[in-house]
Amino acid sequence: MVKNYLLIAIKNFRKQKLFSLINILGLTIGITCCLLLFLFIFNEFSYDKFHKNGKDIYRIMRVGNLNGNRQEIPYVSAAYAPALMNDFPDVIEKAVRVMRDNDLISYNNISFNEKNIYLADSDFFSVFSFNLIRGNPGTVLKDPNSIVVTESTAKKYFGNEDPIGKILQFNKSQQLKVTGIAKDVPVNSHLQFDMVVPLELLKSSRPDWFTNFSLNTLFTYIQLKPNTDPALLEKQFGGFMDKYLGNFFKEIGQKMELIAKPLNKIYFAANAFDSVKHGNKKMVYIFMSIALLILLIACMNFINLSTARAAERSKEVGLRKVLGAVKKQLIGQFILESVLFATLACFLSIGLTELLMPAYTHFLGYDLPSFLGNPWFYVCIAGIITAVGLLAGSYPAILLSSFSPIESLKGVLKVGKKGTSFRKVLVVFQFTVSVILIICVVVIIKQMSYIKNTDLGFNKEQTMIIRFDNYDIASKGHQFKNELLSIPAVQDVSLMSGEPGGFHDSYPFEAEANPAEKYLFNTEFTDMDFVKTLGLKIIAGRDLSDQFGTDSLQAALINRTAAVKLGYTPDQAIGKWIFNTIRDSIKRTIVGVVEDYHFASLKDPINPLVISPGKDNRLALIKIKSADPGPVINNVRKVYSSIAPGYPFEYSFLDERFDQLYRAESRQESVLSIFSIIAIFVACLGLFGLASYTTIKRTKEVGVRKVLGSSVQNIVLLLSKDLLKPVLLGALIAIPIGYYAMNKWLQSFAYRIEFQWWMFALAIGIAITIALLTVGVQAIKAALANPVKSLRTE
Amino acid sequence: MLELKGIYKWVNTGNHRTFLLKDVDLTVKEGEFISIMGPSGSGKSTLLNVIGMLDEFNEGEYNFLNESVHKLKEKQRSALYKQYIGFVFQAYHLIDELTVYENIETPLIYQNIKSSDRKAMVADILDRFQIVGKKDLFPTQLSGGQQQLVGIARALIANPKLLLADEPTGNLNSKQGEEIMNLFKQLNHEGMTIIQVTHSEKNAAYGSHIINLLDGMIQNN
Repeated sequence: MVKNYLLIAIKNFRKQKLFSLINILGLTIGITCCLLLFLFIFNEFSYDKFHKNGKDIYRIMRVGNLNGNRQEIPYVSAAYAPALMNDFPDVIEKAVRVMRDNDLISYNNISFNEKNIYLADSDFFSVFSFNLIRGNPGTVLKDPNSIVVTESTAKKYFGNEDPIGKILQFNKSQQLKVTGIAKDVPVNSHLQFDMVVPLELLKSSRPDWFTNFSLNTLFTYIQLKPNTDPALLEKQFGGFMDKYLGNFFKEIGQKMELIAKPLNKIYFAANAFDSVKHGNKKMVYIFMSIALLILLIACMNFINLSTARAAERSKEVGLRKVLGAVKKQLIGQFILESVLFATLACFLSIGLTELLMPAYTHFLGYDLPSFLGNPWFYVCIAGIITAVGLLAGSYPAILLSSFSPIESLKGVLKVGKKGTSFRKVLVVFQFTVSVILIICVVVIIKQMSYIKNTDLGFNKEQTMIIRFDNYDIASKGHQFKNELLSIPAVQDVSLMSGEPGGFHDSYPFEAEANPAEKYLFNTEFTDMDFVKTLGLKIIAGRDLSDQFGTDSLQAALINRTAAVKLGYTPDQAIGKWIFNTIRDSIKRTIVGVVEDYHFASLKDPINPLVISPGKDNRLALIKIKSADPGPVINNVRKVYSSIAPGYPFEYSFLDERFDQLYRAESRQESVLSIFSIIAIFVACLGLFGLASYTTIKRTKEVGVRKVLGSSVQNIVLLLSKDLLKPVLLGALIAIPIGYYAMNKWLQSFAYRIEFQWWMFALAIGIAITIALLTVGVQAIKAALANPVKSLRTE
Repeated sequence: MLELKGIYKWVNTGNHRTFLLKDVDLTVKEGEFISIMGPSGSGKSTLLNVIGMLDEFNEGEYNFLNESVHKLKEKQRSALYKQYIGFVFQAYHLIDELTVYENIETPLIYQNIKSSDRKAMVADILDRFQIVGKKDLFPTQLSGGQQQLVGIARALIANPKLLLADEPTGNLNSKQGEEIMNLFKQLNHEGMTIIQVTHSEKNAAYGSHIINLLDGMIQNN
């Protein structure tokens, strides 16, 4: 029986080449989207699952209150781990501190500024299951002067030589012996390192750093004893914090809690505060639903075309019934057919996925694990075949098998108004989805261009950023600055703690406005040239200046928002004092107020900011005069190498810095653009099929109408009208949904565009135009045909 | 073999009722060859469809081989006719996508007969109708007479007790028609009960018995 059905299916496939191609093409595209997304999602959900002790590993995190929001902060100080081990010996098996660092590593004459060095406790490789090719996980980091490198890092330094036992120079001061080689860190790990060095190495140079509870610079992971309930441990954390940090909390007027975050929750943590890899679960789900919607659109094409063609199949159905087939068998036959289509499309999709893999990898920016060896991939394929087969096959199957045998044999069967309106509903749905996607793309493009073109309140053009990421340059910052200023093409140089778009600390302040209250303000520690270099506008008072000898210790600038927060107009703020309760020992006087500028992403509102002279210089901003930065960069490089010899010269530009802040949104923009193009393409594919089908069906009618004197335009209108109505309806339904979705998306930006009517009009216009072209071509072809010919065919 | 008692069938158009069959009484014994005649629209095909259980009626009783058809559910009716009744159509109604062999095989598939048995039965009937050489051809590659021959072979493949033919020669030329009618006559001699609908006096004469229908009523019996 199955053989007979298969034969029929294959022969039908051959007979109806256009429809079959549309179906297969649509399904293939839909399934390929799903497969690509599956691989992405599978990888996202596999993060940190490879650790053998994974379910017992937790990251210690502090929980604080940041401007009224609960914020989990993963950075703790080095003192936590020994204290935890000491206080909870029955519960905690091991504790590992991990600090990401960047250091200069040299071997013979090669040196690299390694940005992915982990300074970690010696249990690092026994708690985490990062495979070692050489070396024993338990002992590899025991010696403070040892180092473990990954395979590719080893190749970078040693080529084909055996790395074990080789000596690497650490920041030109310490000697590290390679004791182990780790396999390259898998993509699906939130911890990503190139080298691991024992944290003990720092003990000789910074002994007090290990006992200070307030220098929060590293992650601490704990491995609990098997079958321990972390909640019980967390209950005791309150007492722990009071014991070690009670006095400190009193001092800053704020309390913090401590929690243990499960390892497998770290990757998807929302608005995390750390520099490790994170995924966005919401985006994963959104992409997943879009891929499924595209597959659904493709399935609907299948349903539409099958039911439209039902009349042709009706003879076969009637006959089979007369020959003794019961309804169940017929439903089985048609579902088998759609399963066959789905299977074929799946095979094509696997090929297409393989083909698209390089481009996809490039787009994602990382390699996905091979999918052909992944058993879940096949489960997914089987799932898709079944789901698509049933989804696309069941309605046509039930419709077809319900035909009365006599009517269908007589050929007088009317496939009925019901089938037609059902098809229209499907077209409406397809275009609703397509237009929603187009609306999303239009709004995102508009918002992104708003962000890129909005006035940030400072001058970001032709400004170099040089980070002080080694001791040599950091300790001689002022010498560096002075030598740079002697280069003619350099206009201004300013040393600072954070560039616009970069990290700004927040500190609690006391202020004259209300001395009892603690204000949490962002801070910028810099020199006297900050305002000049960035081109900020002073709206009250004066700039910081060397002319006033007391400025470096007793003066500060605030931004307009800070003035408002303190309850002043800009002019009133001048002369009032503020006091950084942690960093400063004396009060500072507000000498000037600067106009608000976007020192953080446009997603966040501008927060109060205090700009004060300070030694905490983490980078230099260099404002260049000339239009061609090439020669200037070379000169800056020379200065850099004379001050920090041996360190590679690395720089970036301020305008690029801001683009980085919106990388996630840019990616959303491109993904959604691709998806919306695919969606509308697949939807139009179906529309094209329907159009060509109805024109064939109405050939005779068109012939008669032409003979009776109808114009070509009238006929095109007649044929297009029926199909365009559902398209228009779908587009109209899309407006409120698109508005709702994009309104939500825009809420994540503190600075955003307003909705305008033309955005919706544009989206609808695009959809209608494409649909009109699809339908119109068919209609015009039919309308231009010689009526005599079309009448003869009947 | 079968007995119709007071069969009525009608359709309502607006508040007007049109009778397709009106008080039809008919008894068919095993081995009979009945021809139903009458002008267009007299209800010939409707009557044949009712006998073939493809169509329902509104009133009356229908007994087929001691089963009360009017009391059966659709599934049971389907089981009954698929076992005992074969159909032959004016327009042959072969499945274009299947070969001659596969067309003939199809009814057996729905009776859940094993593949090896099916092969033997189809080979048997191909041989009997002398169309072995055409078994791999598609219906469109055959002449009308040959297509109807395949149609009859298909109707007979499952060894029915009753053969229903709706104008089996209507689409054929007179020579082909004659061959088909001779085949029917021969089948009847071998014991097959046959009911045919026809327009032609000549073809009706092949039967043992003629029923004239007019406006859904049997005129003489």
